[in-house]
Amino acid sequence: MAASAHPSDELSRLKGKKAVRAYARKLAEPETIKDLNITPMMDMMTIILVFLLKTFTSATTFISQDQNLALAPSDTPLQAKQAAMVTITKRVVLVEGEAVVTINNGRIDPALKRDGENGYYITSLVELLNKLSNKERKVAELTKGKFEQELLVVADRNTPYRLLTEVLYSCGQAGYANYRLLVLKNRE
Amino acid sequence: MTRRQVRNAMRRLRAEHDESEEETTEINLVPYMDIVTNIIIFLLASVITQVPLGNINVTSPTIGPGSAEMDTPKEKPPLNLTVTLAANGFIIGGSGAVIEPIKKLPTGQYDFDGLTNQLAEIKRTVAPDETKAMFNADAYIPYELVVKTLDSMRQDKKGKLLFPDITFAAGIL
Repeated sequence: MAASAHPSDELSRLKGKKAVRAYARKLAEPETIKDLNITPMMDMMTIILVFLLKTFTSATTFISQDQNLALAPSDTPLQAKQAAMVTITKRVVLVEGEAVVTINNGRIDPALKRDGENGYYITSLVELLNKLSNKERKVAELTKGKFEQELLVVADRNTPYRLLTEVLYSCGQAGYANYRLLVLKNRE
Repeated sequence: MTRRQVRNAMRRLRAEHDESEEETTEINLVPYMDIVTNIIIFLLASVITQVPLGNINVTSPTIGPGSAEMDTPKEKPPLNLTVTLAANGFIIGGSGAVIEPIKKLPTGQYDFDGLTNQLAEIKRTVAPDETKAMFNADAYIPYELVVKTLDSMRQDKKGKLLFPDITFAAGIL
């Protein structure tokens, strides 16, 4: 058969086989790197992510400062600790994020105070803080702990001293006696 | 071998090759990677804007009605040191004595260093063991100056504690 085959057929057969073999070789060749192996980078990223999330959750207090609330700088060595929070911004007094009384030009409306213009007793603030302190007392009783009488006071840096004392007096009427004034630590 | 045969052979080879390649393909992690990178950038940005916060502990003698606390206000500290932040400077008083007020600096600023030095002197000469002091201020004094005064009362330049236990008293009562 082979002898009877036409020489040109034989030639084309050889050429064809050669072409197929060359193609097979080409396919078998190790490819140049198409995609970067990102698995180690993924590992690294995941670890960083877990670390950052952990840092976030362990941070005690977050205060979002804006034009109505800018903390005063201080060189206190004490770290901020968590406690029930009373916030005095330029416009409003908040207890645990709930707005209680409004402030106009650094003063509270005398109608909102029990004793009028010269009074210190801010009625709605005392009422709300009473509820809060009763709750804290109850928790302390149930857990056999001690009611610490502590409040975290976050005040704007321009708050007048009179307003601060009015708020602190009202806090005192609700059974709180120890105040943690939250300040911005100066970087050393 | 005809052209057609060659083409068929090549197609077969390509198909086999693709099949074997498919078997070893990994999960596409790129979209996941995108999400994680975005979250990390967001968290890092938040950490940078996070500010270091600190505390200044103060107390108030007004605890409110209740028999349990009735004894507390009666106790008088041996040195009844009171620092008042007034319009023209600091007024220091204690146990019946009022010393010369620390006036404002010529620049109009309060003399915080002068206050610290004066309190250090009192601490050294009169009451080395005393840590309590009372604080009072004029009604319109901004909180920032109150904090600065409390800082000046807490410790001297060398870090030695002066009067760290501050009570906001006179103004409240």
